[in-house]
Amino acid sequence: MIKTLWELMQGEKCLVQGFSQALDESYRVRLMELGFHPGEQVTCVQVPRLGAPKLYRVNNTIYSLDDSVATLVDIRVSE
Amino acid sequence: MSEALIIGTPNSGKSLLFNRLTGMNQKVANFPGITVDISYGPMLANPALELVDFPGVYSLHSISEEERIAVRAFKKSLADEHLDYVICILDASRLEKGLHFAMQVLRECQLHGKPMLIAANMIDVLTKHDMHLDTRGLERSLGVPVLPISAKTGQGLRELEQAMDKNQVSQHQHVPVNFKAISDVELRRMAHNLAEDCGPKGDLLIRSQARLDAFFLHTWTGGAAFFLIMYLLFQSIFTWSAPAMDAVGASLAWMAALVLPLITPGVIRDFVKDALFGGIGAFLVFVPQIFVLTMVVGILEDSGYLARAAVICHQPLRIFGLTGKSFIPMLSGVACAIPGIYAARTVDSPYKRWLTYFAIPLMPCSARLPVYTLIIAAFIPAREALGGLVGLQGLAMFMVYFFGMMCGLLVTSLVSRVGPHSQQDMPFVLEMPPYRLPSWKPLLRNSWNRARHFVTKAGAIIFLVTVIIWILGYFPNGGTDLGASWLGRMGKIIEPIFRPLGLDWKYGVALLSSFLAREVFVGTLGTLYGIEGADNDMVPLVDQIQSSGLPVASGVALLIMFAIALQCVSTLAILRKESNSLKLPVQMFIAYAVFSYCAAWIGYQVVQLF
Repeated sequence: MIKTLWELMQGEKCLVQGFSQALDESYRVRLMELGFHPGEQVTCVQVPRLGAPKLYRVNNTIYSLDDSVATLVDIRVSE
Repeated sequence: MSEALIIGTPNSGKSLLFNRLTGMNQKVANFPGITVDISYGPMLANPALELVDFPGVYSLHSISEEERIAVRAFKKSLADEHLDYVICILDASRLEKGLHFAMQVLRECQLHGKPMLIAANMIDVLTKHDMHLDTRGLERSLGVPVLPISAKTGQGLRELEQAMDKNQVSQHQHVPVNFKAISDVELRRMAHNLAEDCGPKGDLLIRSQARLDAFFLHTWTGGAAFFLIMYLLFQSIFTWSAPAMDAVGASLAWMAALVLPLITPGVIRDFVKDALFGGIGAFLVFVPQIFVLTMVVGILEDSGYLARAAVICHQPLRIFGLTGKSFIPMLSGVACAIPGIYAARTVDSPYKRWLTYFAIPLMPCSARLPVYTLIIAAFIPAREALGGLVGLQGLAMFMVYFFGMMCGLLVTSLVSRVGPHSQQDMPFVLEMPPYRLPSWKPLLRNSWNRARHFVTKAGAIIFLVTVIIWILGYFPNGGTDLGASWLGRMGKIIEPIFRPLGLDWKYGVALLSSFLAREVFVGTLGTLYGIEGADNDMVPLVDQIQSSGLPVASGVALLIMFAIALQCVSTLAILRKESNSLKLPVQMFIAYAVFSYCAAWIGYQVVQLF
């Protein structure tokens, strides 16, 4: 089932499927350059409370994304 | 002089490598239009070669105006005939990201016919985890020299220095691919495959980093750690820099005591005493504070904590249009706006930094404290309330501090909604750098550069305004009667402006002179009331204000004015330098003057009702 990156729970893994049309083209390119390209595995490593940005791991790098960006990244949760 | 340009992504260890190669013998400059520093200095091993430390960028595809300027400057540098070659540094422990950037750089180098070499940094991390980087494979695929190094431990630096020869670098350019013809999508795929083939195999994320994140970002432990660290930061600005600030003040007093007796009494002596020693002293005392704050913020940044603090603060500050990274500059602004504005460099989004500039001058800085103390002592009775739990004066002080902070947040909230649209804004995607011990030498160098920047860049503007105000206050009667001076006359001319707030010309003059530094208000008012040394002992001045019959509503109006107005020449000068714009400080000065006056008038009217 396709979800957004923001819905990923702590410890869950996913594969990036694509990006929402609402995401500006330049940001889409930047996210892909950082490793969030379609087919890449992303792990949610930490979910701080109170709506704070979540921590995601791509390759050997951890990024923090807030909901304004993470809700625009389409994912498929890995088993 | 020939040049070599060092470029890399943020957190790749680029500046540390630059410091190693130049031995810290470097100069710092700014690109026009951006606040990012560019450092340059001769290479230690070959002083005929000048190294240029280019600002760290994630990509040559820019997403903000600031990045666009930096990338444009990089491409312009490639066309410079003095540029021998480019050194692209990448983080070998996060190879794919680094390779993608290196290929973008290689494409530009190919386009301009410039040779390039790659320094694969953090090789010590790979060694520690028994992992391997196939540099030969990378060299074969990319066609440029690839040298494994550790900027931290110095491993591989000798080999890099030996390879840094124009002829040698040029001879080893056998790029097998025409990168100019490769699309971005293909470039990304190549980087991915190459990282798979030549990169370290396995999990490089250190477990301790995950454990530290679990601690520092946990609701309770992270919250407690955050408050403790911010308390220490605050202490560093207020307490740790105090002895050095006192020493600067004492040194200037000592120099004045030596120099002044050598000058015949008269206008020159008065100028040297008040404008030179007094005026310069008023801003030089900030230098230790700027040095200490830059050090502490640098430690937080280098250790990796700054990114975590930004995550913690992001959500509450986002309500007001700001970002998590705005918190530290704003907190610094509670001590003094000047180091706060410098600290705003850590806000990477230009739009959010611009909004942060709006908030910082409204933070209740320490220079406002003597003014608040005087006004509260004059108008608020020293009684206890709530069964002795709180003192009324303390409560008033808390409220005025809180009022300033809330004004700052409300202003950014309003500006972010009605101001220029955030088209230039960057999304909140923040790399969490690994936790590590800071490198002290670059930190000290950076703090020294920042303090020097303050003295050399802002000093001229501050000195000019100091001289103007001194002339206005001194002439035409030789400084014998401030009330009869040009400044006094100006105070009387603008008296109608302050009359609706119940204030007479004396307050107008004190407000004008407080443009030098807010605390000057107390001393000036004391002088106008004929009380010497009011800035050291406020009691006679408090008595004088109380007996003058000034209504409480005027006291409230004054508190509101001081909480909002931006009458501080040092803050305006630093805003001018840091924003690279005269428009911003002028607009802010006018906007906050109007806002403070309107709010003070409303406050005056409301209190008059009771």
